[in-house]
Amino acid sequence: MKGHDELRSPRAVILRAVVLAVFGVIVLRLAYIQLVDDRYGSMARDNFLRYEVQYPPRGEVFDRNGEYLVQSRECYDLMVIYRDLPKEGFDTLRLCDVTGISERKLERALADARMRPRVGSPVFKFLSSEEKLRLDEMNVSGFYTVPRTVRRYPRNIGGNLLGSVGEVSREMLRNYPEYSVGDYIGTEGLEAAYDDELRGENGYVLRDIYSRDGSRDTVLKRSVPGKSVVCTIDARLQQFAEELMRDKVGAVVAIEPSTGEILVMASSPTFDPEELVGRNRGNNYMRELNNSRHPLFNRAVKSSYPPGSTFKLVNALIGLQEGVLTTRNVYPCNEGYDYGRIHVGCHKHASPLGFYYAISTSCNAYFCYVFRNILENDEYGSVKDAYDVWRDYVMSFGFGRKLGSDFLGERSGYVPTREFYDKRYRRSWNSLTVLSLAIGQGELGCTPLQMANLAAIVANRGYYYIPHIVRSVEGCDSLDGRFRERHYTMVDTKYFEPVVEGMWRSVNVDGTSRLAYLKDFDVCGKTGTAQNPRGEDHSTFVSFAPRENPRIAIAVYVEHGGFGSEIATPIASLIEEMYLTGRIERQWLLDYVKNKRINYPMYDRK
Amino acid sequence: MTGSNRTVSVFAGVDRVAVLLYVLLSLVGMAAVVSASWDETSENVFSFSHIYVKQAVWMFAAWVVGLVVLLLDRSIWHKFAYYAYGLGIIVLLATLLVGDKVNGAKAWLHFGGFRVQPMEFAKIAIALAVARFMSEYSFSISRAGDLFRLAAIILVPFGIVILQNDTGSGIVLGSFLFVLFREGLNKWICIPIIFIATLFIVSFLISPTTLLLALITVFTLSEGMMNRRWRDCIRYAAALLLSSIVLYLVLDALLPGGFDYYKSLLIATLLSLFVVLWYAYRNNLRNIYVSVAIFFLSMMFLPTSDFIFSSVLQPHQQKRILNFLGLLDDNYNVNQSKIAIGSGGFFGKGYLEGTQIRYNFVPEKHTDFIFCTVGEETGFVGSIVVLSLLCMLILRLMRMGDRQQETFGRVYCYCVAAIILFHTFVNVGMTIGIVPVMGIPLPFVSYGGSSFMAFTIMVFIAFSLDASTRKGLPTYGGRA
Repeated sequence: MKGHDELRSPRAVILRAVVLAVFGVIVLRLAYIQLVDDRYGSMARDNFLRYEVQYPPRGEVFDRNGEYLVQSRECYDLMVIYRDLPKEGFDTLRLCDVTGISERKLERALADARMRPRVGSPVFKFLSSEEKLRLDEMNVSGFYTVPRTVRRYPRNIGGNLLGSVGEVSREMLRNYPEYSVGDYIGTEGLEAAYDDELRGENGYVLRDIYSRDGSRDTVLKRSVPGKSVVCTIDARLQQFAEELMRDKVGAVVAIEPSTGEILVMASSPTFDPEELVGRNRGNNYMRELNNSRHPLFNRAVKSSYPPGSTFKLVNALIGLQEGVLTTRNVYPCNEGYDYGRIHVGCHKHASPLGFYYAISTSCNAYFCYVFRNILENDEYGSVKDAYDVWRDYVMSFGFGRKLGSDFLGERSGYVPTREFYDKRYRRSWNSLTVLSLAIGQGELGCTPLQMANLAAIVANRGYYYIPHIVRSVEGCDSLDGRFRERHYTMVDTKYFEPVVEGMWRSVNVDGTSRLAYLKDFDVCGKTGTAQNPRGEDHSTFVSFAPRENPRIAIAVYVEHGGFGSEIATPIASLIEEMYLTGRIERQWLLDYVKNKRINYPMYDRK
Repeated sequence: MTGSNRTVSVFAGVDRVAVLLYVLLSLVGMAAVVSASWDETSENVFSFSHIYVKQAVWMFAAWVVGLVVLLLDRSIWHKFAYYAYGLGIIVLLATLLVGDKVNGAKAWLHFGGFRVQPMEFAKIAIALAVARFMSEYSFSISRAGDLFRLAAIILVPFGIVILQNDTGSGIVLGSFLFVLFREGLNKWICIPIIFIATLFIVSFLISPTTLLLALITVFTLSEGMMNRRWRDCIRYAAALLLSSIVLYLVLDALLPGGFDYYKSLLIATLLSLFVVLWYAYRNNLRNIYVSVAIFFLSMMFLPTSDFIFSSVLQPHQQKRILNFLGLLDDNYNVNQSKIAIGSGGFFGKGYLEGTQIRYNFVPEKHTDFIFCTVGEETGFVGSIVVLSLLCMLILRLMRMGDRQQETFGRVYCYCVAAIILFHTFVNVGMTIGIVPVMGIPLPFVSYGGSSFMAFTIMVFIAFSLDASTRKGLPTYGGRA
């Protein structure tokens, strides 16, 4: 049959082979991309799955009485995946209207997103819940929101103390692998010090971008919310202190002597921490940064002030311990101390005078004698060796070094070394050369925190706990052990009582601190008036109360405030009154403090 | 002959396997179109706004038309072949003047509610005309004059379609080469045409290794086919592959990083050619010399394609080819299509579960890229099933052609087989990135009423011609 012959035609066979070859090529290729090459599965998943970071809510901060110092508030970041934007374009004007972003910013953000078209790029931050809902209604593909939290401050206090939260910097990213781009991090104060606890851990989710309800999401890692932190701060007292310090430059630090807990840490001028939240953070930060009174500078732990007469407490204690001073010692004072060409002035008071009155009325001459006796002690071969001993004593009070609190940015202040004087005076110096140290002047520098710590040491009769601002962290049984250790000074407990007596007399009998008198509370205090080269004297006051079982130790430092009793004493006293009685009886004193105006030409001069 | 005494019924003598293949294909296509156009949010599943409902209507209409074709007198196809061709040319010209532009091609006519692509139907007319012309008593495939006239029959509609800017449909007409070869066209005309066409595109290919491997495979296959020395061919291919790998390992050990696999393969191949020539000389097999020559030529050809490319092709065509070859980076469509098919794996993601399809990553997912639905949702297994159905139908059509008693029927059946083969290769090939993107449908599977209807008529004419042969009836008057 012809058909049969045709079937055997070689060309028909070749063509069948061609057909099979064509299908063979297709099948081979299919086998390759479907069975061998395994990239496509993940590429398909990449198409509809979006890798999202789930940011944990940052831990909240409570004050010592359980009141909110810092709360977390929900907000949203607007993100975009450039590749997923609608090809036909979208209503940019409406998007700007809904979210409040400016057109220029949107354009810039989209241009940035274009560089990395497959991953989410941030467009705009801090969308409110309503803005987010309106955006969801618009439903532009490619845009999505990520929930974040921002800070809220119910009392708007403690800018420097609490610090603020910002996006992690490039530098941080390089040095600390535990942070990733876009994370929030505490930049100052408590937020920075306890960032590890407050931050929580990021979660990671693969989100099916086409399922609205999230039912097809794969959680790779759940986010862990930040731990809440209980502060030692008393929010009401902190606010009160900040009010008292308004328009004054300086700092207040109050410590609970029996624990070392910081009750108040106010630096003035301060700023509203709310300013450093949200979109205006950058602008507000720059404004505060350019403020000539430097509100961003936390004077409570960073400034190094001459302690003035409050330092006489230390010299008295050293003198007693060294045996060169007893409570029976009497020295003359003719409105000052004279030795050769040296003259240290003093105010008018009865002369000669004894130990208690010297502390109470803050006699400069008396302490010049004491200080010289310490340095010219025959027990130590030379003045310089004696100076080393003196310096060790001072250091044991926490001066000239960091106390090691949990608060970042603490500075050490300055207690000059023997070498320092050797260099400055070319090795020829003696007790007269450094005589100003007797009254807390000269090269001495200390932070208000150190001064408050001094008050706590005296209140405790010889020891202190490292001052700290956090009482407990959620989920942690106890605080770092170092905060529960007593740190003793080199001065024996028995020598403190006479000094306390002197401080008590200063407030309650015949001294410079009588404004600090509080009925029923045996307040003890010591004023200081620190001369300085830049203008009016600094006004300072250290105090604790009550005399027995003290509950609060406080240091107030007001730059250029004049005599210690002029402004520092009333402020400290009011804070003590508020803390101990819960209210203010002495309205006149409150008015006086609030109305007191201090000029700061050195800051405000343009 | 069997069945010759039976009462003449519609299905008398019809190849049931072929009809079954056709029905299975249209059902598979239906399933794919449903998946590609499924809208889970829709309330009314059977609303006419759905693409798959339209396709279902078209499918049933086409089945009816197929029956009508079987009912018609089998001689009319021969009788009206030239009239049909003339009508086809007129309609194509009309389309050129008054047609609608879809995706840049002015290849569509509007009839009230629906659109028709006349070229789909014109292909039937051209196939009929080619079959009629080649079955003329005076026709000789080896006579130049006849060949020119035959070429004119094919090239006139080709020209019109190119003017319509519907290059894809035009290139389909190249499939007639398949038929001409079957009818005895000198193979040394066919082979260079095919190679020049292929190399033109393939020469840009990303990986020279792939190119070389493909060339070796093709030439070894063709040699095996021509000389029937399959054992030697397989030995040769295996030896070449093995020696190239050994060479690669050795060279890589000697000069780390200096040699890639391509160079080793090239060296091995060139060396092997001497063996091949010696083999040809010993066995006196002349065609091997020709193959070796073409093999060399095809490698020489590579540098010249650049000129043709930039001077002849239009920008969007250049872009498609460059995209195909991976030289341009906006081949989004093909990428997504490959991702869809590639992510299907062995068993697929499940019917209606394909993410690439559901989430609209695949373009034209119910028409030109319908194969993505198959590949993604039913995986390698489903793809093989669909391809097997098409392959079997094509082979069946070729078998129908071979058992025809008249040249007319044989040529026509081969034309249909060739057209379906070409459509399948180009359509599936572009979805998996081995052919540049051309907008032509996958027969019986892609959504599109006119395409489905035209393919149905096309194959049913072949079935009808085949049925009359098997019943011993003359397909047309005088020559039975």
